[in-house]
Amino acid sequence: MKRSRVLVAVVAASALVALAGCSSSGSNDGKTIKVAYQDFGTDLMAKFMAKAKAGFEKANPGEKVTLVPIKAAENDYYTKLSLMNRSASTAPDVLYEDTFLIRSDAQAGYLEPLDSYVNKWDEWSQFYDNAKDAGKGDDGKIYGVSMGTDTRALWYNKDIFAKAGLPADWKPKDWNDVLDAAKTIKDKVPGVTPINIFSGKAGGEASSMQGFEMLLYGASKDGLYDASSGKWITGSKAFTDSLDVLKEVYQGGLGPSQEITSDTNYQNIVTSQLIPQGKLAINLDGSWVAGTWQSTGDTNWPEWEKTMGVAPMPTQTGQEPGSISMSGGWTLSMGSKSKVKDEAWKFISYALNKANSLDFDISLSQIPVRKDVAADPAYAKSNPTSTFFASLVDVTKFRPATPDYSKISNGIQVAMESVMTGQQSPAEAAKAYDDTVVGIVGKDKTKSE
Amino acid sequence: MRLSSPSGLALKWTANILLLLIGLVFVLPMVWVVFASFDGSATLAVGWPKQWTLENFQKVLTPDLAFVPLWNSLLLSAGCAFITVIVAILAAYPLSRYRNRFNKPFLYAILFGTCLPITAMMVPVYSLFVSLNLIDSIGGTILFMAASSLPMAIWMTKNFVDSVPLSLEEAAWVDGASSMKTLWTVVVPLVRPGIAVVFIFVFVQAWGNFFVPFVLLLSPENQPAAVSIFTFFGQYGAVAYGQLAAYSLIYSVPVIALYVLVSRVLGGSSALAGAVKG
Amino acid sequence: MTSTIDAVAEGASGRGTSRPPRPERTARSRRVRRSVARTVPLIPAIGLLVVFLVGPILSSFYGSFTNSSLTGAAAASSEWVGLKNYIDLFNSPDFPVAVVLTLVFLIGSAVIGQNIVGMVLALLMRAGGRVVGAIVSTFVVGAWVLPEIVAAFASYAFFSQKGTLNAILAMVGITGPSWLFAFPMLAVILANTWRGAAFSMLVYSAALQEVPPEITEAAEVDGANGIKRFFLVTLPMIRRSISTNLMLITLQTLSVFTLIYVMTGGGPGNKSMTLPVLAYQEAFKFSELGYGTAIATILLLVGAVFAIVYVRALKTEVD
Repeated sequence: MKRSRVLVAVVAASALVALAGCSSSGSNDGKTIKVAYQDFGTDLMAKFMAKAKAGFEKANPGEKVTLVPIKAAENDYYTKLSLMNRSASTAPDVLYEDTFLIRSDAQAGYLEPLDSYVNKWDEWSQFYDNAKDAGKGDDGKIYGVSMGTDTRALWYNKDIFAKAGLPADWKPKDWNDVLDAAKTIKDKVPGVTPINIFSGKAGGEASSMQGFEMLLYGASKDGLYDASSGKWITGSKAFTDSLDVLKEVYQGGLGPSQEITSDTNYQNIVTSQLIPQGKLAINLDGSWVAGTWQSTGDTNWPEWEKTMGVAPMPTQTGQEPGSISMSGGWTLSMGSKSKVKDEAWKFISYALNKANSLDFDISLSQIPVRKDVAADPAYAKSNPTSTFFASLVDVTKFRPATPDYSKISNGIQVAMESVMTGQQSPAEAAKAYDDTVVGIVGKDKTKSE
Repeated sequence: MRLSSPSGLALKWTANILLLLIGLVFVLPMVWVVFASFDGSATLAVGWPKQWTLENFQKVLTPDLAFVPLWNSLLLSAGCAFITVIVAILAAYPLSRYRNRFNKPFLYAILFGTCLPITAMMVPVYSLFVSLNLIDSIGGTILFMAASSLPMAIWMTKNFVDSVPLSLEEAAWVDGASSMKTLWTVVVPLVRPGIAVVFIFVFVQAWGNFFVPFVLLLSPENQPAAVSIFTFFGQYGAVAYGQLAAYSLIYSVPVIALYVLVSRVLGGSSALAGAVKG
Repeated sequence: MTSTIDAVAEGASGRGTSRPPRPERTARSRRVRRSVARTVPLIPAIGLLVVFLVGPILSSFYGSFTNSSLTGAAAASSEWVGLKNYIDLFNSPDFPVAVVLTLVFLIGSAVIGQNIVGMVLALLMRAGGRVVGAIVSTFVVGAWVLPEIVAAFASYAFFSQKGTLNAILAMVGITGPSWLFAFPMLAVILANTWRGAAFSMLVYSAALQEVPPEITEAAEVDGANGIKRFFLVTLPMIRRSISTNLMLITLQTLSVFTLIYVMTGGGPGNKSMTLPVLAYQEAFKFSELGYGTAIATILLLVGAVFAIVYVRALKTEVD
């Protein structure tokens, strides 16, 4: 009896291996376009891609699209995509690429420059200039076409403001206005956390982007990196000033407790618990958070439309352009190993035409990167705060997404953490950051201000 | 440890009470999973659901999300476990019975060599599979998972085989049986409990293995449940906790069922004692 | 009968004292055939290992001496950097802390936690009723079988400020602290014990079953009570299983990542940053494979040290 079980297992195993050997996966036979994307949120991306595929195949008979959904959280998605990109037989023709990684992936040789294609595309002029830049590699060539983006601003609770005697249509003009409002709330409405600025290591990239960079880029024109010379900025006063704000918030009792800021679920706690429960007055956060409170989101809070107000984050002293925002976003890129480059471009330009871009931005709560989509009435109707956040695209900045950025971002979080906990003064933390940057990129790639 | 005295009954009751206490402690953290799965608006906070609903289960029990991935998980885990156990028994027997100066270094080397996490090895493994044309093949993934489960399986199986006294096999050899026949008819039945443990262990590891199938499989039809579970992680860090919890309950049921089935083998008689007594 | 045993025990020497005399050549070919027959069963195992693992293991070990990466310029062509990854690692201020925390985690949740809880469960189930045993073992195995990410969330939900543990403590009037913030290592050690005890329980159940009851009965007749019987008779008999179990759960525990990362993220600060979490934060998050592999290699060395300790302490030898 045991012997026959062995036999069965061995036969089964060899059959499987033989079958496996027979199936040729990934060899591109002329007209099939492989599109890889991150399949998250149950079916948001899947629906969009399926629609794009159906529409494209109908408009281009004889050409087929194979969708390769990758179900994974962020970092794993990047890992899988990189692995696929390394081998010609598995490299996708079109990929859903984070603007954050465009430069590194271009350097790695995974992406195909699209300049010759976009220059002949009549819809390219509809894209905002900074959105076009977001898809540029170190060599200035275009490696991705933007699908949508996000912006960041101040969310505030109008009910708590009323109790503190602050206006319902709050428009802070500079950093002092923001901090004063927080202090007023601390005095007048005890039991409520006045303000949250994402900070510290547990917050991850949210701390760097929604927190620190929203301050830093409102205090200095170049922020972290001087693009024209390709050098990272060290010793800047703006850096220390931004850390000063954090010190005032966290050492001055204006921010959430350390238990919350060091919790791995810091972001969720703020969006899903503190705000709907009326325990947080002001939150510096992104355009997408309303998605959590809508009926399709995780924390159904229909009152948000009446309770929450939004205001642009002001620059340090209110200097031009008056407000500041940071943006991330995603693009569609073309794989450099693709054997069907022209067809891949046709898919990209189809998936990102006006109608499909509009559909994408509405269903995934994204901010449009095309002027015609932003002007479309359907977009404004989709969400009460859409128009406001879309208006911030004019002043928004993108991160200096060089391959070193993630390590530098880590350095920012370390600096934030030590100031938050009082372990270092802003000046000390800034100096430590400077040393870290030199350690990462070398002295010749830094420039002192 | 035989309970051959009247105080044996008291011992049994004490043991039962202690067991139930420990069982309670083990079940408590799972309270969140159960509550969240029936909660229409679940979060990470533990709470009696405001609205009891079967909605999460409904949303999750679709072919794409549940049935196909669970079937794939079954294929991968069962295939891996069967192959591993059989190859391990075959390998453990000579390692146990035939002294050889290569045994010790071989065993240690394979045990430690394979403990490098797959994250460190993913690039060479991926390239290897591309060159063997085994990317996106369930068969190839099964073989890889079997290969990486082998060292622990061989180690454990050898340990169980070691405790079978040679006298039984000697009897079989005298009767003219070859070593293979001895292995399957004499030794294996005696180490059945041990083999059952190895099988369960390999199966459970394979069932919960996310990274290997994630790296080696491409088509969504081939992905197992351990990978599909990440569908519930949305953008900007949002997680659909209710559906995640419902899915994990469904996901755990087959393996627990398997455990109950296989543990009947563990409850088997001490055949060894019988054989030695003569 | 004796000649067959001799033949087996002497290995390939082929000396059979009561075998009928044979010419040299046939004896040697008999030897060859015997050693071939002995290694044939090993071929499937060796085959799988060599094809799928040896290459990648050597390749990634080599990679720890390069700056290989998944993205950026180093992905296009990685360079040999010698011991730089290892030197950077030893110079990292977080490294000594990570090593200590890893050891604490290992000893707390594996050597003590899972090992003892597993043994206790195995013993209790032998002594207790069958139905109770079946129910409890299903719960224990359930914790082991739950997908890692869900087990991690469940543990987080259990230990968080407003979680299950504090709710229970509140029922007896104690206000629990924020466990994940105040006692992160304790929380992750308990969580990992909860998660992995099933394995030790299964191994020890199987091992205890193989202990011949006559020996323990003989000790009982000689007047040894239950506890003495256990420590002086039963435990030494299952020494090998204990050693194997310890080795396996050590290696498994050394690579625990998701549980800790979801519960505390290695924090607050670096108060629960074990080596795998360090590897993720310093290497894999930045796609630096070479550096990550260097950390993984150090982890392996820690595991090897522990294995040697187990074998020596329990005086078992791998034959």
